[in-house]
Amino acid sequence: MPQQLARLLVVFAVFTGGLVVTRHLLIPKTFGQRGHYRAAAVTTIQVRPLRYAGREACADCHADIVGLHGKGRHQTVSCEVCHGPAAAHTLAPVENQLPAPRKRAYCPLCHGYDPSRPTGFPQIDPVSHNPMKPCITCHNPHQPEPPHVPEECGACHGEIARTKAVSRHALLPCTQCHNTPVQHKVDPRLLHPDKPRNREFCGQCHAKDAPSPREIPRIDLATHGGRYLCWQCHYPHMPEVD
Amino acid sequence: MEPLGEVLKQVQGYIYPNEVELHWSLLIVVYPYVTGLVAGAFILASLVRVFNVKELQPTYRLSLLTALGYLIVAPLPLLAHLAHPERAFEIFLTPNVHSAMAMFGFVYAWYLMVVLLLEIWFDYRKDLVLWSAQEKGVRRWVHWILTLGATDLSSKAVRFDQSAGRFITIIGIPSAFLLHGYVGFIFGSVKANPWWSSVLMPIVFLFSAIVSGIALVLLLYVISTLLRSKVVDMLCLDKLASFLFYALVVDFSLEMLDFIHRLYEAEESIGILSQLVSSRLFLSLVILQALLGTILPLLMLGIISPALRGRGSLKTPDELRRLLYVAAAALIQVGIFSTRWNVVIGGQLFSKSLRGLTVYKMQLLGIEGLIVAGFLLLLPLLLLLVLIVLLPPWPEAEAHLPEAA
Repeated sequence: MPQQLARLLVVFAVFTGGLVVTRHLLIPKTFGQRGHYRAAAVTTIQVRPLRYAGREACADCHADIVGLHGKGRHQTVSCEVCHGPAAAHTLAPVENQLPAPRKRAYCPLCHGYDPSRPTGFPQIDPVSHNPMKPCITCHNPHQPEPPHVPEECGACHGEIARTKAVSRHALLPCTQCHNTPVQHKVDPRLLHPDKPRNREFCGQCHAKDAPSPREIPRIDLATHGGRYLCWQCHYPHMPEVD
Repeated sequence: MEPLGEVLKQVQGYIYPNEVELHWSLLIVVYPYVTGLVAGAFILASLVRVFNVKELQPTYRLSLLTALGYLIVAPLPLLAHLAHPERAFEIFLTPNVHSAMAMFGFVYAWYLMVVLLLEIWFDYRKDLVLWSAQEKGVRRWVHWILTLGATDLSSKAVRFDQSAGRFITIIGIPSAFLLHGYVGFIFGSVKANPWWSSVLMPIVFLFSAIVSGIALVLLLYVISTLLRSKVVDMLCLDKLASFLFYALVVDFSLEMLDFIHRLYEAEESIGILSQLVSSRLFLSLVILQALLGTILPLLMLGIISPALRGRGSLKTPDELRRLLYVAAAALIQVGIFSTRWNVVIGGQLFSKSLRGLTVYKMQLLGIEGLIVAGFLLLLPLLLLLVLIVLLPPWPEAEAHLPEAA
């Protein structure tokens, strides 16, 4: 055997031997018994103190609520998601009271509007959706009603509703100008309400010869504003006074 | 989280919350760039050793040392990015063959220990023995240790060195392909990302690696020769430029094939990808990678190098040609770095919703920052300097056997 090869073999033997010894010393004995991990890790985790009790434990004392919860839309959300780890509470219920989130900021963690959430998942804009009211005044978290159709446009378009409420157009219903498909209230992003598409629409009240009360401002549709639609210059939710 | 606030202002369209910040940063751009240089420099060395391209002989040892310098640095961006470098050795102890990323250690170790170090050792062994006999002090000892005690200089032993070196280079070519093909594979196999997921990825990576490696050695050869006040071998440089041209043609064709294939296939991602290319990546892809990094060097090399016509389409004086070669090689480096940038950063700039784009806010300080990345790009050159001092690759430093002298 050439001298070089012999020397290299020694070097490689040292490396390989080093690897074998290191493997022997450093790989935990139970590694690979069940998969690509240390099997004894399971025991290590097992001996850690339990913090969660599981919803079955809740049912022992709170059968009524668990029964209600089990039928509602939140049935897959475990009790401890909102009330926190309950193991200590099950052992000493009075000493270890569990918190119940009552603040408005809590529910939007799941139900705040986020475009990445699945379509159809109930979502609200926390700023405009019944501002200041805690969620639980209207919704029972143990059995939240399916999102019922908003009764008024202001439930979602609060800002526009509030602006319009103090404007000259306060008495006009939204649907006077916006044709709103019924489906829009259930699935807002599927079908959008429309907007007036011609000048004659506003002319029904504001044209010179319109059969509307006299105090309503008038314009000559033939000469006023050229080819522009009215709402391209005037903001209909807060039209200027003069 | 100030950078996040900045980023949020520039997010466009709909993106998922976890996509706002990029997880693979500048360091992951440096990683394929550096590995590419290793593979490229090695392939260049193999042209001399296996394919007997005699003109490139002056760059043979330099390209081997360049490959080694860069190979030593190649895993550092990963270690810095992943943090906990003290755990890195565990991938050797408990290999997970189901994970391509976890196999990196073995691909790397194979290439470093079995290919590159062995080839350099066989090539330098005769010199190491002679140097250790002639020198004094620390160098003598260092060179003696590096011989590993194999001091046999009989003609039979020297012949064995040569044939062993040649054999290792033959193994080395597929290994170099494996090393950089592997890096492309890592990206190409991310099936959830339409910018990366392509079977062409490994081969595109490979050819861009060859291009970048040849360009780097060309640069290093010219600079080192001028610094040593020696004459640049124009025959060698012309040959280097020709090979650079050929590799660039193949690389460009593959990139275009990938591009046209994507356009023709027009999968659902094409909308967002077109938006990505025309907005976020316009500078780095269209200007830097395609125009300045590929088309301009292609034209320069095509016209002045002897790749297409015996003495070049345009006859130029040596000094000018040398200058243009250096300029083309430098442009190619910028282009290839942009390629890596466009793959790594570009692939994370669009949302998986295919409806929005985010931005990459590069850090200056910190482990993922510009300074660390700059240091990691500089470090191989410092290592190369050490290697050159230790193992001079120049013809005049080569030791000759007493009989031959």
